Amino acid sequence: MAGTEELTDGAPRRRGRTRSRIAATVGVVGEVLITAGVLLALFVVYSLWWTNVIADREAKRQGAHVRENWARKGPGALDTKDGVGFLHVPAMGKGEVLVKPGTGSSVLNEGVAGYYRKPVKATLPWEGPGNLTLAAHRDGHGAKFHNIHKIKDGDPVVFETRDTWYVYTVYKELKETSRYNVKVLDPVPRESGKTVPGRYLTLTTCTPIYTSDYRYVVWAELTRTEKVDEKRTPPKELRG
Amino acid sequence: MYVWIWRHLPGNAWVKALVSVVLVLAVVYVLFQYVFPWAEPLLPFNDVTVDDSLPTPATEWR
Repeated sequence: MAGTEELTDGAPRRRGRTRSRIAATVGVVGEVLITAGVLLALFVVYSLWWTNVIADREAKRQGAHVRENWARKGPGALDTKDGVGFLHVPAMGKGEVLVKPGTGSSVLNEGVAGYYRKPVKATLPWEGPGNLTLAAHRDGHGAKFHNIHKIKDGDPVVFETRDTWYVYTVYKELKETSRYNVKVLDPVPRESGKTVPGRYLTLTTCTPIYTSDYRYVVWAELTRTEKVDEKRTPPKELRG
Repeated sequence: MYVWIWRHLPGNAWVKALVSVVLVLAVVYVLFQYVFPWAEPLLPFNDVTVDDSLPTPATEWR
C-alpha cells in the first residue's frame, strides 16, 4: 500500500513518518513513566519488607550470640561487649530487642535499639540516676518500635542485662515533637513532668508511621530491679 | 526502549523470554543490593533520632 502511495504522491508517506515518530516518542515517554513507577514500587517493597528481612536476620544472629555468651558464663558481672542487653515491651508485642551502643543508621539498621551517645549521652541503669535513652526504627530495618503508639501509661518496659531485670513503668507519652527536641533526652526529662533526678528510660522513634516528620517519645521510670536467676526466669511483668 | 531490547536479544521467543527474566532479576538484585541502600539515607523517610545538628542522615558512624 505504502508503495503505491509513494508512486502517486510523497506527501502521505511523509505524514505517516511524522505520525510514527510522534507515536514512538509517546511510546518512549510511556515506557519511562512505567519504569519510574515500577522503580518506586520496588523501593517501597525494599523499604518495608526487604530491610526487615535483613535486619531481623542480623538481630537474631547478634542476639543469639549475646545469649550464648551469657549462658556460657552464667549470670554474673556486666557484659557489654556485643550488646548491653535486651528490651522487652509487652505492649509493642512479643519479642525482645537487642540494645547496642550508638544511634547511627549503621547500628539501627541491624534491627536493634541503640542507646544515645550524642547529642545527650544515655545513662545506663547500673550507672545510677539518669536517663536510658533509646532509639529504633518505626518502619523497615526490623521496625522494632513500630507499635510504639500502643504503649500506654502504666505499661511495663523491661530492660534485661546479664544479671539484672530492670523493670520500668511508663508514665508519659509525647505523641509528636520536633526532630530537634533533644531536651527529651535530658537526664531529668522536664518535658515529661519530672523535676528531680531519677532512673528514667526514654524511647524515641519517628512518627507518623512511614515518614519521619516528627518524633514520638515514651518515658518510663524504674520501679524495681530483679536479680537474674539460674534459669533466667522472666519477671512477672513478662509472664502474663 | 523495551521493544528495542527485545529485538536485540538472541534466539527465538522462548530464549528471549528466559533472557528477559534473568535480566529483570539482575536489575532487581542490583537495585536491592546497591542502589536502594545508597539512596535510602538520602530520603527523609526513616530518621528516628532526635538531633540538634542539621538534618543530615547518619549522624553517627561506628
